[in-house]
Amino acid sequence: MAAAMKRRRGTDPDPDPDPDSDPGPGPGPEPEREPERGCLRAWAAQSRAVVGRWTTARCGGETRRVCRQLRDELLELLRSIRGLPVALPALPLELTVLYNSLLFTVGASDSVIKGEAEGIRQGLLRVLEACGACGQDLGTEELWEKVLQEVTVEELQAPLRRLGALQAAWWLAASQLASVAGLFQLLSTAEDPGRAHCSEGQNKLLSLIKAWRVPPEGASLPLVQSAKDLKEILHTAAAFLQGLQELEAGNFPTALSLLQEAAGGFCSKNILAQIHTCLGCCAQRMGKPQTALQHLKQALQVDFQCLPALSHVAAVYHDLGEIDTGLQALTLLYEALGKSPPPAASSAPHFLMQTELLVHTPVLTSLLRRCHPSEVKYLLAQWCLQDGRVADAVEHYLDFLSLLQEGLQQQVPLDSSSALPRIPEVFLEAASALEQAGRHQDAITVCEEVISRTTDLIPRVLRVEERLEQPESSLPGAELAENLQAEVEVLQKIRFLSLIGRGTQFLEMGRNKEALLDFQHSLQISPGDPAAASYLVQALWELNRKQEAAAQWQKFSQSCPAEDGQQQGQGRPLPLYLVSCQEQAVFPHSETLARSIQDYLRAAAQDTPR
Amino acid sequence: MLLGEQDQFLSYNGEILVFQLSKPKHAEEADDKTMNLSVRRMVFNRDTKLFVQKSSGAFSVEASHSKIEMLSCSCTTDSRTGIILPCVLMKKKKRNSIKYFLLLLHSSNQFEPSFYFKLDYELKEDIRLFAGPSLLWRHDHKLFYISSNTCVVQSAPVHLSCVVWTGEIVGEGTVVLGIRTACLPETEDPDGFSVSDRAIWGSEFFGYAIQSQKFLSGTCFMPHAYSRVVSSVHVCRSERLRKQLRISLVAITHKNQLVWFQNGAPKGVCDLPYEQPRSVTPALTSSRDLLFAVSFASGNSCAVQRRDSLQVASKWQKVKCVLVDDFIGSGSEQLLLLFKDDSNTDVLSTFKITDLGEVDYASSITYKHDVPAAEGLQENGLLTVRALETRLQAGWTSVRELQQHLALQKRVILESCRALIDLVEERPHILPNSKEEGLVSLWDDEENLPDSLSKETPSASEVPEHFTEELWQRVVGDSLVVGVKLTESFYLSLSDVSLSLVMDQDFSSISPIIKCQSKIIKLNKAFSALAVSPGQIEPPPKKMKLDLHGKNDLRKEFPKRSSRIQLDGARTVAAVTSLSPLLAFHRVCCVVLLHARKQNHQNDDLQHSKKITVLCGKILLSLEDISNGRYSIKMLRDNSYCTGSMEDILAVLAVSVRFSFQIVSCDCTLTPVSSWLLGEMECTPFKECQDNIFCHKAGNVHGTIFNWALNNPFEGVLTIFCRNLTVLFQCLHSLTRVLPPSCSVKLLRSGSKAVLTEQLALALEKEVLTLKNSLFLKETKAGNSLTWGDESGKKNNNAPLASLLDTEEGVQQFRKKLQKEREESVQSMNQTLNGALYQKTALKIAEAQLSSDMIVWRLAKS
Repeated sequence: MAAAMKRRRGTDPDPDPDPDSDPGPGPGPEPEREPERGCLRAWAAQSRAVVGRWTTARCGGETRRVCRQLRDELLELLRSIRGLPVALPALPLELTVLYNSLLFTVGASDSVIKGEAEGIRQGLLRVLEACGACGQDLGTEELWEKVLQEVTVEELQAPLRRLGALQAAWWLAASQLASVAGLFQLLSTAEDPGRAHCSEGQNKLLSLIKAWRVPPEGASLPLVQSAKDLKEILHTAAAFLQGLQELEAGNFPTALSLLQEAAGGFCSKNILAQIHTCLGCCAQRMGKPQTALQHLKQALQVDFQCLPALSHVAAVYHDLGEIDTGLQALTLLYEALGKSPPPAASSAPHFLMQTELLVHTPVLTSLLRRCHPSEVKYLLAQWCLQDGRVADAVEHYLDFLSLLQEGLQQQVPLDSSSALPRIPEVFLEAASALEQAGRHQDAITVCEEVISRTTDLIPRVLRVEERLEQPESSLPGAELAENLQAEVEVLQKIRFLSLIGRGTQFLEMGRNKEALLDFQHSLQISPGDPAAASYLVQALWELNRKQEAAAQWQKFSQSCPAEDGQQQGQGRPLPLYLVSCQEQAVFPHSETLARSIQDYLRAAAQDTPR
Repeated sequence: MLLGEQDQFLSYNGEILVFQLSKPKHAEEADDKTMNLSVRRMVFNRDTKLFVQKSSGAFSVEASHSKIEMLSCSCTTDSRTGIILPCVLMKKKKRNSIKYFLLLLHSSNQFEPSFYFKLDYELKEDIRLFAGPSLLWRHDHKLFYISSNTCVVQSAPVHLSCVVWTGEIVGEGTVVLGIRTACLPETEDPDGFSVSDRAIWGSEFFGYAIQSQKFLSGTCFMPHAYSRVVSSVHVCRSERLRKQLRISLVAITHKNQLVWFQNGAPKGVCDLPYEQPRSVTPALTSSRDLLFAVSFASGNSCAVQRRDSLQVASKWQKVKCVLVDDFIGSGSEQLLLLFKDDSNTDVLSTFKITDLGEVDYASSITYKHDVPAAEGLQENGLLTVRALETRLQAGWTSVRELQQHLALQKRVILESCRALIDLVEERPHILPNSKEEGLVSLWDDEENLPDSLSKETPSASEVPEHFTEELWQRVVGDSLVVGVKLTESFYLSLSDVSLSLVMDQDFSSISPIIKCQSKIIKLNKAFSALAVSPGQIEPPPKKMKLDLHGKNDLRKEFPKRSSRIQLDGARTVAAVTSLSPLLAFHRVCCVVLLHARKQNHQNDDLQHSKKITVLCGKILLSLEDISNGRYSIKMLRDNSYCTGSMEDILAVLAVSVRFSFQIVSCDCTLTPVSSWLLGEMECTPFKECQDNIFCHKAGNVHGTIFNWALNNPFEGVLTIFCRNLTVLFQCLHSLTRVLPPSCSVKLLRSGSKAVLTEQLALALEKEVLTLKNSLFLKETKAGNSLTWGDESGKKNNNAPLASLLDTEEGVQQFRKKLQKEREESVQSMNQTLNGALYQKTALKIAEAQLSSDMIVWRLAKS
């Protein structure tokens, strides 16, 4: 039994003997003479093999899978290396393996870089350990400072600086620009004190990155992505990032020059299109629409899938008053949105580190916000209605409403950055368009729809005044009050327009007294309104109260012109759905009325001297 | 029975042996006189799931005035019978002398004293029991051993720092694997990665075969590097293959790693979850997986599984000991974990038997349970599924893209058909909405060339007074370059320009004409595009149409740039000849002659051009001047520029071989090219013409001139002027390393495609015009009539024509015009034509056709 057990133990574990590997050196009388297969050489060979495999694999498909596989292999290798006491001769290799493994980690994840590169920290601590120092309790910035200032071993300089570029990438992704600048300052002064100085007007960070001399790449320690590439990517990303920051801060000329610098840098098509889009937006905000158009055009030339550029183009044309072109751009955008699915994750990264992974700020997200088809449809409708293209507007509104029928959640983006107003307003705009197109019955149907849907939501009594009087301590309260004020103004306007409307009806029906009452009420709401005043005069005239009519007319014609200009500027602009009502409320026979009153006055004047 | 700290556990053939040292129970016996060593054999009962005692035995040791301890126990081979037996090492300390003795336990539960020895020091470090039974230990960096055969303490001739393993190696008997300070041979190669582990880490492994008393190489176990970290080793297998020792082993290190080695190389690493691993034991479980049980100094344990890679499969805390054996009798091994338990003191009451597979027995008493097992494996599965999903999605997306593309193509074809039908039926064609001109203007080319219409080409009919601006000579390498700079106006009236050198002196024996090669070179005095400053003025809303008919643009020798170009139209005709034959004459004077065809008027009619030969001047060449370096070129690096006279640059360009490459990148910008030129190639632009940059890099490539013209951020043309093909390949090799992998580099044999396309368009237009005009020929003289109708010239005519086609009314107008012309031509059909005129016309048509055919051929080749 004991023998059986012994055999079992003996035949033990190894299911896969490795026939390929070199046979180990046999025992000899003096084993020290044998050639020794050192760990260092084995690691270097493994590291080289990984880089070689990546170089052949990156041109083919499935790079991400290969990337993941190689990352795991390198991490395993790194674990092996770190499993041994740190040794100066092995450190360049260790740092290079760390550099490559971090790049693979970035390439395999395909999402923006986040958090801290813990591997770099460990690498730095190992370097310090090799030099007999320690820095466990230092922050990463201080750790870099200590390492770059105190470690003078010649062999470590190149790998350390390459690692520095990677650290910069991590910090750039976290928008820690000061840390990046500090690191590059250290990197430059470590190699060549006094070389990196920034001339006036140039961006400090960019000139620091530019001044950084990339350590030469040795054939014995190949890299999966050269530090030179990394430098270019960092430069582009830093310019882009700062450009966006300046754009957000409103420093447009600075933003423009930074973004232009970024556009001249090394980046992918995707990013170049984004930079041009941002340049376009910047130029537009500077009041240079033609420059903006050129940049947006370039964005689309570089990458037609950069649809946000197209929506900006439409907006620029609209602002320029070129409604036709703006509408065409919107139509194109609508078509493109319907066809192309949202861009899938980039398919095959030839580069592990990319600008895409470093630049992600809220400004960029909002500038590159992908319009929803329903928003584009609404804009089309709105612009048509504003421009008086009633028939087109009706079509677009109906399209939009049918989109709504398909389901609110799927069709309408509900985030705050959406261009859509509240849905009842869209209905009212549609009704207004229908009405203007002469489709009165349809307009009524739409309005009834709005009423039926919203009646339940309307409170019996609207206690606006009370709310306004409440002490407004917090900011949201004040904002609410402001909004309410605007709403109240709109409501007053609606009331005014309806009174005028009813008054004119009465006037036509010959019920002049009732008409007069309505016009008086409307004048109370909007004192000095020319239309209401004219109607009031007309009503008095019809009632044969000519003297009063003449007096009112004189009063109104003296105060009229000043009032007109004042009304435009204040409060919320007139809602689009009220524009046509406003136009209808204009008094039509002002000249006839004026003539008859002047005649009357003249006659009265001739009478009086007598 | 109480369980003391002194108790030892040993697994033996599926049983557990519990050794205990205690005072005898009978109190009447003299106190401190004897001690009892008892053993209990425990077996696991699968039904009750408990350990039950099978048998027991005891051995009493006389212990008067001495302290008795149990040092260790193990299973070793009894060399007399070959049977593996449990043995216990005992220590008896009596004042200054310490006696050690070894007891063998037989299956009858009887203890047999095997051997004993006395030492004047205590055994502390690296005590190992092995076959014999034998014992080895380390004391003061020395290795000692004793066996039952000899009963004499022997020492090994080695100075060591520790023993990591002792056991059987096939063919060697018992081998001790130890670590000692490296003894470095003098002949170490210190550079590169060939530095040995011993040199770096300063210690090494050695194997010592006890029976044969010889040393084995440590590298067949592990690389020497690991001698700095390994604390314990378990050799799993050793075999000899073609006399080579092949060993598989597992080691644990001070750096808290478990490393698997095969044939001396690490094959897998795993980070251990706790600090200070103490021992490692492999187990072959029922699922044929290799499992390593690792115990730690802190009382924790973990199991590491070896599948694709090494992974921590489970971990436990408060473990007293871990044993590996077939406890349940299933034919494979399991782990037995004995937990520390203060509340329950019964032997083997809190335990767990597991193989991390099917087998899992635990004592009913709950204990602090392990941390979830095999998290990593599950995560892997999840990742795989996610990756598969992504791939599926990507596939689906590409299929959809293809479908959309097809749909789009179909639409375009349909639309074109409709347009064609409309055109044929003379119906107005209505373009679809989205493609009307407001948006089309977005796609216009950006190029903003100076209006070439305004530039009148002079109609010089005779050789002007100052047709040559300069005559110069340079020596480049073994070549002599003679250059003649021509004024642009003169050059434009010429074709087939060449130079020849004729010796002035009369050497009767040789021909005075020197064989040379002519080249026409034009340099743009261009400045690199300035960065657009933010304060730049808004461009006008409408952009100028690109004029394709400007003759000058197409004749350019170098690819045009889209940035502002300051045109300097001067051309240089250079003759390159071998210098050395001329030097044979010591002093030689040459006449420089310019040959060309001079054109009458502004057409390309070869029939009406006449051959001219013009004397440009004389050059004097003497060996002395050349020795003094009078004609050699001087290219100096001045800050960020290269200074060299225009003649120097032209001379270098003339002797160089020229290659143009179109570089297209499909997904990223081409900035690496310019950083490669300015960085790695150490190029600087010429002060005189900044388009061209000069390579200062030392070595073969020095003196190469590059011209890098970006058409857009993703496409550009790199022109290389190099001395020879070797230099070209060197440059290209260097370039391909910096280019993004998705780039394609193509040799442009005959101009860029865009230029050729434009040329083709012009040639075809000319062909059509020639054909058309030949039909209108009445009495008008050929040569004068190559104009459109009666209008003044084609330049004035074509621009409105182009704009006519932009609008619908324009097209209608054009159609009417064409109709009218058609009628005219029908009328002219009836007319007679004289023979000579016909001949000329036919020739002209043939010429035009030939020229367009040529361009088509070149385009097809490129």
